[in-house]
Amino acid sequence: MGQVLRVDLTKRKVLVERLPKELALNYLGGTGFAARILFDELEPGMNALGPENRLIFGTGPLTGTLWPTAGRWAVYAKSPLTDIWGESHCGGFFGTELKFAGYDMVIVQGRADDPVYLWIDDDEVQLLPAKDLWGRNTAETTDMIREALGDREIEVACIGQAGERLVRFACIMHNYQDAAGRTGMGAVMGSKRLKAVAVRGSRAVSVADDERFMELAEEAHRRVLEQPQAREMTKYGTPLLVAYKSEIGELPTRNHQTGIFGGAQKLQADTIRAKYFAKVRSCFGCCIMCKKVNRIQEGPYAGLISGGPEYEGIYSLGTNCGIDDFGAILKANQLCNLYGLDAISAGCVVAWLMECYERGLLSRQDCDGLEPTWGNHEVMVTLIEKIAKREGIGDVLAEGSYRAAQRLGKGEEYVMHVKKLEISGQDGRTHRSVALTHAISVRGADHLRSLVTVDQLGYEDTAAKRYGRDKLPEVCDPYSERYKALVVKDAEDTFAIRDSLIVCWYSCGWPPIFWMPDFAAVASAATGVEKFGKLEELYRIAQRICNLRRAFNVREGLDRRHDMLPKRFTHEPMPEGPGKGQVANLEIMLNEYYKLRGWSENGVPTKQTLDELGLSDVAEELKRLGRL
Amino acid sequence: MARIVYAGDGCTGCKRCIVACAHAHDGTFSLEAGRIWVVKEEPLTDHPVVCVQCVKPRCQEACPVGAIRRVDDLVLVDEGACIGCGACAEACPFGAIALHPSKGVAIKCDLCGGDPACVKFCPAGVLKLKEPAAVVQQKGARG
Repeated sequence: MGQVLRVDLTKRKVLVERLPKELALNYLGGTGFAARILFDELEPGMNALGPENRLIFGTGPLTGTLWPTAGRWAVYAKSPLTDIWGESHCGGFFGTELKFAGYDMVIVQGRADDPVYLWIDDDEVQLLPAKDLWGRNTAETTDMIREALGDREIEVACIGQAGERLVRFACIMHNYQDAAGRTGMGAVMGSKRLKAVAVRGSRAVSVADDERFMELAEEAHRRVLEQPQAREMTKYGTPLLVAYKSEIGELPTRNHQTGIFGGAQKLQADTIRAKYFAKVRSCFGCCIMCKKVNRIQEGPYAGLISGGPEYEGIYSLGTNCGIDDFGAILKANQLCNLYGLDAISAGCVVAWLMECYERGLLSRQDCDGLEPTWGNHEVMVTLIEKIAKREGIGDVLAEGSYRAAQRLGKGEEYVMHVKKLEISGQDGRTHRSVALTHAISVRGADHLRSLVTVDQLGYEDTAAKRYGRDKLPEVCDPYSERYKALVVKDAEDTFAIRDSLIVCWYSCGWPPIFWMPDFAAVASAATGVEKFGKLEELYRIAQRICNLRRAFNVREGLDRRHDMLPKRFTHEPMPEGPGKGQVANLEIMLNEYYKLRGWSENGVPTKQTLDELGLSDVAEELKRLGRL
Repeated sequence: MARIVYAGDGCTGCKRCIVACAHAHDGTFSLEAGRIWVVKEEPLTDHPVVCVQCVKPRCQEACPVGAIRRVDDLVLVDEGACIGCGACAEACPFGAIALHPSKGVAIKCDLCGGDPACVKFCPAGVLKLKEPAAVVQQKGARG
């Protein structure tokens, strides 16, 4: 281990570099490493689709071990959708295989003259022609590579036609149903003419203190298997959230116009389980086993068998488009996987188009003769195809909803985004901490970098344990701004460590099993670095990562103005349901959050904060650019 | 004597058994050094493959140096005697024997001395340690 693979596609050169020790000690792994590398190697204002962008495939110190949720890996680059920090995590087996091949990270730069794919077989690394693969979907690409190299155990991360055509929210797919979905990492890969990375590793991974590590791993294994909500996840997966969010009136419906969806029952986890369930699947070594394969036996989509959808797909391709046909959602979700599209952004751009159509801003003619009315699932599925192929209106939507509105000069006020990223399936009006999370998230309207669940799922004991009993009941009140900055910051710090180790979101936020103390114990046992075992030190590393990612965005010109929410969340009260009348009061939470982070009122890290975290060079760079 | 049994339903394909097996034998994590593995097919197949401890082991017959023997109903490889030719792996009708990625010698399930790591770490709880006779009975009863 301790090796980094550096691939220059322009020069067609592959280099093995040593992982710098300072990087490991100060940034832990995954997201931490990427933050330092992207800040150091990218120029502010550069074109995310230009050859100089870096595409990093990252793993962490727990990847490949028996820690029960360590099957994750991640991709990082400047995002072509948001023009800021891009990061996307994925499950499956690719990260594990990369680690077993002997690499902590692969950094890709440059652009190949002709399509290529990277083949990593332990020490033997080659760039191979991808002429036959170009134009193929992600499942075909995976199968063809395994066939051509004669080994079905090869793990593949690849792009589909959407990434090739630089759809700005193209994803990178792995293992047929696992996606590094958000922020357009597939478009960056496409811009480099890199069709796939195929990897096979025969090496072993070891930890520093095996006995201690195995004690912790076995205990963690038991804790997951004993957690009742984790067991529910195994049975139903993330669609569990549909019924819950329906009950609290926060199931985003018709481009977030409301949180009440009439057809929710048809999309609930128990309905799906009873009518469509085919199989449970799992990422590498995971005890949660949340993935589901579903099968449609009747109706227009009969015969379809596919992995997914997750809750977010049911939201974006379903409720947010007013669609209650599960077969259509599974079909669209499968198309997203095959073409390589982020299912969240894909559904959300369609929802935006539907709202524009509803309001008469766009005509049938503008939409290539289609009628994008709420609930029209045939049109939704057709639009997904058109986006992936960049045909007609699909070519406009392929730019993301923010750019699409700009290009058409219409519907800007109905673009549900933060920092140009389409919003994930939460609503800050009825879940105040998520209002702040969406607003400040480093990659835009995203829940996964700091989603707090204690105020929505009623985890009072967890809240008391993590933040102190004196913070109750307000900390668990979804309609109160009180303490939300504190808990969002704590979640963001914890998740910076989670994303550097790299372990799964499920088992930290939801269900609430592991948190910083667990990460400290396992990080020190795995690496032998004692300071990782000290909570204070681990928080310092977390803050270093959060500040460095923020500095990356500040350098791109962002500040408080961009930590905003769609007007719908701050000015249109929730129209019905249990949360009727609620709006998000962002400013109060934002002020508190900046103060806790040691940032200026304008949302820029101060020199003092950066100096304290050992980021003086970052402060100097921001000063040089007049951003400090 | 018991052996490792998969009743044919419930494997999620996570491969935790493989890594737990490698760790139990080598003290390190690996997908190549496990003595159990998982066949995965799209869209619905995940199936663990492991030695069934044959009564008349083909691997034993194939071994040119007599490194494989049946001891107390368990088929064992004498790693010291093994020359790493792979004849046993070719002979096994189940694909349940392999060559160790760094040592080169034949590796197969030895039941971890009676407390198999794969059974212990299988999150779905579908790998069991059972007597073949009990399996026959169970399957028969189901049919």
